[in-house]
Amino acid sequence: MPQLRRDPVVGRWVIIDSDHTKGPLDFPKEDNTPTRQAICPFCPGREYQTPQEVDAVRPLKSPANTPGWLVRTVPNKFPVLSSDGALEKDGIGIYDQMTGIGAHEVLIECPDHDKGLTELTEEEMQVVVSQYQNRFRQLSKDSRFKYVVIFKNFGSSAGATLEHTHSQIIALPMVPKTVLEELKGAEHYHQFQGRCVFCDMISQEYKDRERIIIENDSFLAFCPYAPRYAFETWIIPKGHSADFANMAEGLRDHLAQILQDVLKKVKRVLGNPSYNYYLHTVPIGYANGACYHWHIEIIPKLTRSVGFEWGTGLHIVPTFPQDAARFLRED
Amino acid sequence: MSQLRKDPIVGRWTIIATERARRPAAFVDPLSTVTDQKKCPYCQDIASHSIYESHGVKVIKSSSPILDESKPFERQAQGLYEVCHSYGSHEIVLESPDHIANMADLTIEQIKAVIRTYCLRMQTHRKDPSIEYILAYKNYGVAAGSRNIGHSRSQIMAVPVLPMRVQDKTRGAEQYFDIHERCLFCDMVNQELKNRERVITENEYFVVIAPFASRFPFETWVLPKYHHCDFADGIMGYEDSLAAIMKDILLRMKIGLNDPAYNYMIQTSPVKNPSSYKDHYHWHIEVMPRLTRVAGFERGTGFYICPIPPEMTAVFLREVDIHATA
Repeated sequence: MPQLRRDPVVGRWVIIDSDHTKGPLDFPKEDNTPTRQAICPFCPGREYQTPQEVDAVRPLKSPANTPGWLVRTVPNKFPVLSSDGALEKDGIGIYDQMTGIGAHEVLIECPDHDKGLTELTEEEMQVVVSQYQNRFRQLSKDSRFKYVVIFKNFGSSAGATLEHTHSQIIALPMVPKTVLEELKGAEHYHQFQGRCVFCDMISQEYKDRERIIIENDSFLAFCPYAPRYAFETWIIPKGHSADFANMAEGLRDHLAQILQDVLKKVKRVLGNPSYNYYLHTVPIGYANGACYHWHIEIIPKLTRSVGFEWGTGLHIVPTFPQDAARFLRED
Repeated sequence: MSQLRKDPIVGRWTIIATERARRPAAFVDPLSTVTDQKKCPYCQDIASHSIYESHGVKVIKSSSPILDESKPFERQAQGLYEVCHSYGSHEIVLESPDHIANMADLTIEQIKAVIRTYCLRMQTHRKDPSIEYILAYKNYGVAAGSRNIGHSRSQIMAVPVLPMRVQDKTRGAEQYFDIHERCLFCDMVNQELKNRERVITENEYFVVIAPFASRFPFETWVLPKYHHCDFADGIMGYEDSLAAIMKDILLRMKIGLNDPAYNYMIQTSPVKNPSSYKDHYHWHIEVMPRLTRVAGFERGTGFYICPIPPEMTAVFLREVDIHATA
């Protein structure tokens, strides 16, 4: 059973994945071996190679775990958290730990092995986004969970191990540190200013304009003022909205559009780099929706973070956000 | 002129390094350069840049510094955002006149000279009233963010803001002290020494553990057994002991993990108001081999997935025979 453990100094939780421990020489020094389609477990016809699907979009009503799907969500074959069992908390001297309860799912975004998110049609991309929201809502119902993270690793240097296009969803029994820090900051701002800090950020981005990449009716894509990484890009709803689960149906298609547009720009401008993106929203059942604002952060994997950044949280970014935004905007 | 920028939400400071600004194409397929001794810039005569020199250790200004001391430090607001230019200093510590790549292969005497140098540079930088924090760290190997020059070196940065992770640590330690009236790190050392399953190696004054909630595989911490919040003041008289334990743990990694890339960083108390950290903070060194990549989940959540329990890390590193090839 994997464990969740908390660093007693900064309060950071980690998962100790005791079920699939690796020996020291199991770690690849450079991992760029592509999976051949012949053995890809995500391709249609090999549904039996994944755990039983938890959700899928099947326009022709084909049976579960057979071909005929547009997107398909399955439990991760090697989950970092286990969905069976009770959540038990324990203390050992100065240390705290919990059982590693959670959910870890893989969302296969398209049946075609050769397509990435940037190659999907408008409709296919919309199906992906609505599957994100469906899974998010579904996992939010489990009372053991406090937070659901949707994220994507593209390319081996961003941590992807299978090349067939997919995202991942992890449901956690606690709110992760980065989100807590954002919430704390946003609550603090709201307490003093009486406004949402993200809404204020959007207004200032419109005023300054130089960091804006693109927008549509409902969303804005911009490079944040104080990024942690070069070409870091955020997609944020223009109207105040704390919870991704509540995004209206009409907005889903707008999100699909702007997400794909930004990814296409990143691909063209930066030469198909590896990237990560992840969604930040409020914790499950969070009451103070006035102060938070959900968004997606897209991080192209361009530089290695060095010891200095790990040790201090002080990131060194080699590109001004207004320059990054200009490159992406003018593409 | 580079800038420091503060994220208005979490309070995270970022250095925007314009001197190093690159166009998008510059990120595409970066190639690491391997240089031999004849091409090593540090083996050539660069004494003219030397800031400090002693016992074969030389400190030079970084050739591409991201911090600059020439203008006074000043913060400004730009609406919601806060900005200041990137005041501070950025130095390279050349650890040996010899073209040796890994610190693990230096003599204990030489490592001691490096430790002394860190200490002296910290004492110098902290006299600057604008400096809030001084970080001494090492990037070894390309995967750890170093250029592949093959000449052992580390870096010292003095910055005018308190970095977020440092603040997290001091705050956590302070909260613990408020409740228990004991140092969290001293309690940790005691518990680890009693329990022993995460202890890798120790000597009279230091213990090396795989931390209970490791973020990375084979992450290790070097903790002084004695209490002191500040590295520069607290290391006096213990340099030999630290040099020996650093050589010990770095050799264990080199032999056991097949010469991996690694980072280490000295975690010491902030420069300002030292007396307020005296009781609750405890300097230490984090050593991290770079064996895995950080993926979207970790970046997005600050929540790490460590694929090996620290107890196994400890067993593995404990059993490495450092005398066989040393």
